[in-house]
Amino acid sequence: MLLLPALLILGLFLYYPQVDVFLLSLHRVALLGARKVFVGFDNYRNLFTSPEYLHSFTVTLIFVMGVVIPGLAISLGLAALANQKIRGARLYRTALIWPYALSPAAAGTIWFFLFSPVAGLVNYFLDQTFGIKPDWFGDKHLALFLITATAVWKNLGYNVIFYLAALQNIPKELLEAAQVDGAGAFRRFWKVTFPLLSPTTFFLLTMNMIYAFFETFPIVDIMTRGGPGDATNVLIYNLYRDGFRFFKTGLASAQSVVLFIFVVILTLIQFKALERRVHYGA
Amino acid sequence: MKRFLVLMLIALLGFGVALGQEKVKITFWHAMGGWRIGVIERMCADFNEIFPQYEVVPEFKGSYRDTLNAAIAAARAGAPAGVVQIFEVGTRMAIDSGVFEPVQKVIEEAGLEVDWGQFIPAVMSYYTIDGTVYSFPFNSSNPILYYNVDIFEKAGVELPKKPTFEDVYEAAKKIVEGGYAPYGITWPVHSWFVEQWFAEQGQLLVDNENGLAGRPSQTYLLSDAAKRIFTWWGKLYKEGLYAPTAFEAWGEAKRNFLAQQAAMLIYSTSDVANMRAQALDAGFHVRTAYFPVPAEVERHGVIIGGGSLWISKDLTPEQKKAAAEFVLWISSVAQTIRWHQLTGYFPVKLTALQALEEEGWYKRFPDFKTAIDQLQETEISPATQGAKMGAFLEVREYIGKAFYRMKELIDQGKSVEEAAEIALKEAKAKADKAICEYREAIGEPCP
Repeated sequence: MLLLPALLILGLFLYYPQVDVFLLSLHRVALLGARKVFVGFDNYRNLFTSPEYLHSFTVTLIFVMGVVIPGLAISLGLAALANQKIRGARLYRTALIWPYALSPAAAGTIWFFLFSPVAGLVNYFLDQTFGIKPDWFGDKHLALFLITATAVWKNLGYNVIFYLAALQNIPKELLEAAQVDGAGAFRRFWKVTFPLLSPTTFFLLTMNMIYAFFETFPIVDIMTRGGPGDATNVLIYNLYRDGFRFFKTGLASAQSVVLFIFVVILTLIQFKALERRVHYGA
Repeated sequence: MKRFLVLMLIALLGFGVALGQEKVKITFWHAMGGWRIGVIERMCADFNEIFPQYEVVPEFKGSYRDTLNAAIAAARAGAPAGVVQIFEVGTRMAIDSGVFEPVQKVIEEAGLEVDWGQFIPAVMSYYTIDGTVYSFPFNSSNPILYYNVDIFEKAGVELPKKPTFEDVYEAAKKIVEGGYAPYGITWPVHSWFVEQWFAEQGQLLVDNENGLAGRPSQTYLLSDAAKRIFTWWGKLYKEGLYAPTAFEAWGEAKRNFLAQQAAMLIYSTSDVANMRAQALDAGFHVRTAYFPVPAEVERHGVIIGGGSLWISKDLTPEQKKAAAEFVLWISSVAQTIRWHQLTGYFPVKLTALQALEEEGWYKRFPDFKTAIDQLQETEISPATQGAKMGAFLEVREYIGKAFYRMKELIDQGKSVEEAAEIALKEAKAKADKAICEYREAIGEPCP
């Protein structure tokens, strides 16, 4: 009985739209509903036979891996550094967490201005120091690298908070015991700290994956718009473009369903494969 | 206690008076962002004062595309906006959506009168289809060339008032080779400019008389006109004279020009007022010239850009009257002059244009006249009336991205002509497919 309000809201804002989206994906819809024709699984067939959409999958996979793995690695490193008892530790921690408070659109805009090939600060300094002016938005690889970097930077704060908290929860006795046994700093980290951080790492892996798949849309929209060509056309961007730029609601709905199933599968794999290796409880 | 009762009474009276004066409220959804938001708000406030029985509530809805999306979605949800500003290329979609009523009809049914002959013919021709005026002209623009006078003087280069592709190429070359600026020219990688270059060459963008005689079924992206455009563009890029931007990055192109990294900028006249001010802030003078065209063609003129005002169908008769009064007021001579002087969008009424000339405005600010001259020299034909197609937004994406494909091929070592041809061929295939997909969705498949 007490669950009813929560269920009502979930039903209205989550389940009903999802069912609606699935139904829409089985139609060809014109102009947000002017005309709806049932076409069965045609939209899905179009998607999986379209080289652009399959290319989108590749781009997204590279992007997600680039956001999740370096993101967690860098965050862990930063958290470990910020965990030391040094002067200004509070300041460093605040500075590290700050980007998380920005909206992704703001983050995208900042990096867009900084890396503007002709009039941006970064190229100005690179030109003065090294004499090079990389074409950040015109080169396929650089553009993908740039949005990945922006996405990583934006989420550092989030990861650092969790890692900091987890690091501070590691019992000192274990580390001291390891030190007494003769383990060096590196050994201590990998054999004691890292395994004890595994619940956090596991959690952050899932959260960062969701972030990379869904919440990085503003960054792509502001910085590259899927370009140059289709080099940064991640799945969520392709969905938006088909749905709201080209008004192909049916096709976009199909993409939404595919993306959802894809992420669910990835998460399930993650749980099955990795959960065994998580050490809960110190 | 007594004072409290008196205050309560006054409050109740005020409330009663407010209830008694029920204003007819309509929303005005627009896409005029940045510094233009304030201009629109002030204009609406003025209208509300002059017409106290109406209240127009302006709301900035984002880009033109976001505004169209919002308008259609709201109408489907049963809460349509009153007046909506829609971009030119959304015309076919706006009609197909069934959300709007032709403005001509709304005005007639409200019992108001309008003299369509008072508007610039080129502007009217864009928004009149099959003899019915669908939307009300408001912010019309066309592309012009801005150039950095100081850099040009230093380099000893002159630009004619009506430059050709060759003139621009030569000027850019001299400036860059002489080290006067890192780049000769820049403009946003956007299909709008390509469409304008088609019009200048008298080339239709799509068949069926540019979509005016009936729904189109293919594009003319492999025409000689298209090749001329892309070969010139590719040549400028290859020789390091053109600074490419991110896709549709208007802001980036403007910044490149204002940061004096490029000596010329092809942009919209709607930024004339702002560009002059910002250039002065940045420490240089800017002048304008006509949109450049290939040397071997005669100028046919430009297509009007910008947007127009549409009125929703599902409004009460009072709301429709309010909307009609609003669009008529905002296009009155005084308001047209005001909008023009504050932005650079040209005055759509001939009488307003005349008034400005007599007042000597254009003698003091000749740059505001460039776009108007260009427009008045336009010969009205299907090529300059602007293509009408439902899939325009998707086709625009492919045309714009064709530049990046050409750029990629040039970087790989192909000749400019070959790169242009391949890029155009691929763009045409995608664009034609998009046109027919839209037609299938709307129920009138390609033959």
